[in-house]
Amino acid sequence: MNEQALVDCLTCVLCPVSCELEVRKGMSGDLEVKGNQCDKGIPFAVEEVLRPMRNLATSVPVRGTSARMVSLRLSRPVPREMIFPILAEIEKLRPEAPVRRGQGLLANVLGTGADVIATRTIPVLSSCQPKKSHSMPTRRKA
Amino acid sequence: MKAPERIETCDVAVIGGGPAGLAAALGARRAGAREVLLIEREKALGGILNQCIHDGFGLFLYQETISGPEYAERLIEDVAREPIKVETGAMVLDLSPDRLLRVDSRAGYRLIRAGAVVLAMGCRERTRDMVGIPGTRPAGVLTAGSAQNLVNLQNLRIGHSAVILGSGDIGLIMARRLVLEGVTVKGVFEILPWASGLERNVRQCLMDFAIPLELRSTVVEIRGRDRVESVVVARVDDAFAPVAGTERVIPCDTLLLSVGLIPENELSKRAGVELSPLTGGAVVDETLMTSVAGVFSCGNVLHIHDVADWASFEGLAAGERAARYAGGERATGASVRISAGTNVRYALPQLVTAGREGVEWSFRVARPLRDASVEVRGKSSGRVYARRKYPRLLPSELQKINVRTAVEEDIEVGCHE
Repeated sequence: MNEQALVDCLTCVLCPVSCELEVRKGMSGDLEVKGNQCDKGIPFAVEEVLRPMRNLATSVPVRGTSARMVSLRLSRPVPREMIFPILAEIEKLRPEAPVRRGQGLLANVLGTGADVIATRTIPVLSSCQPKKSHSMPTRRKA
Repeated sequence: MKAPERIETCDVAVIGGGPAGLAAALGARRAGAREVLLIEREKALGGILNQCIHDGFGLFLYQETISGPEYAERLIEDVAREPIKVETGAMVLDLSPDRLLRVDSRAGYRLIRAGAVVLAMGCRERTRDMVGIPGTRPAGVLTAGSAQNLVNLQNLRIGHSAVILGSGDIGLIMARRLVLEGVTVKGVFEILPWASGLERNVRQCLMDFAIPLELRSTVVEIRGRDRVESVVVARVDDAFAPVAGTERVIPCDTLLLSVGLIPENELSKRAGVELSPLTGGAVVDETLMTSVAGVFSCGNVLHIHDVADWASFEGLAAGERAARYAGGERATGASVRISAGTNVRYALPQLVTAGREGVEWSFRVARPLRDASVEVRGKSSGRVYARRKYPRLLPSELQKINVRTAVEEDIEVGCHE
């Protein structure tokens, strides 16, 4: 009966109304969105089906501290399929303390236009006590 | 232990430095409290926000989506700009009904008398013992939040292949986090017929990575001697009892539990604060004051929030009210009781001063509802004080309803499809 193939059912997350959207593909190949109570729902659903955008959060160790981690994210969402390639780039990062919140650690990562930014401030003198003494200068006994 | 002779004083003491407590300290200052003391058990302020490195915070407080650590730092910077006395690495051991705090601090054991107290201790996770999973007791069984701490803050690998029991938000977030860290996530198993976490997390954390979510199913056995070797999952019937013959063995070395959060009210109990069996938190009035005069509650220690921003807004309000109490303001008049009606798990505040206008209630529904109408109705008169329609209501989402008119009788918050 229904000549339009159902592509996806999703809930709009742009606001708390949480419209339940249905995306169908018409005969012409165009996507048709139903269930949206406002205009924002259509581009949201189309993007979510054709090219979902996501942010990415992870953390990396900071040099010059005793194994303290700095959390980071992207300055803006990237196409979902870029998550793992970007992650591989981030894995190589070992920023030096101090790290400032909002500091760019990797600009325009893999040409996506998004920067990798620190989401936490890590001062040089970490309040964290070193676990082993090797990071401390050893003092000779007189 | 030798008792200190001197009793220190402050106007408002806030216990807990997470999203609610930080905001409460700010709220107390805004309402004119001179001496505000913020006490935090950990070495740093921020609470659980520090390990919540994913984004989605701040949409309501800062009108943009940021990560947990960023959200925490902004609040901490606001606190640092005020003459608020912050004590980290300090634990409140006891709270008396007359607001005497016994504190184990960096400077030793101290006594502090507060004009008003704001409880903002947050919550903790339900453990394996609390859900009673049979089997051996190997390493590799963790709550989702402790896994989050180990992975995000301590850079530890918690295992190679994991099963997640429960679909709470932290479990969903950790499913994605583990995949990004190279851990195979075999599936998320939820005993209820619906996901406990937010829908956005089901989509972005599970569907994006093709992690199966199995509803109406649970872990019935943990196997393994030193380390988890496998778990047995099974479907459950309507009474949540495992259905014989549906058992499946899933090889894995890690089981994460995301099976609910419990407000951490040990201190509240010591002070004699009346707790609600529905929320696990204090019974409060519209000023967020508990049954103990001058003791206020906010954030996850009051009731479990799904969004940190709301915990902060509640903290701001509790801090302001606490400051006003410390300044001598007292509520007058009898109070009316609010109860949860049809399809509503709880409504908060549970008490309101009779005649008070413009009270806002937080509530949570007991099951997913469509085209629902929420009514605030007088118990004796049957009068409808407020009614609001919702296209959809989910137990995972805390909702609010405002009542403009003065409430003069006991009322019930109910919901019908």
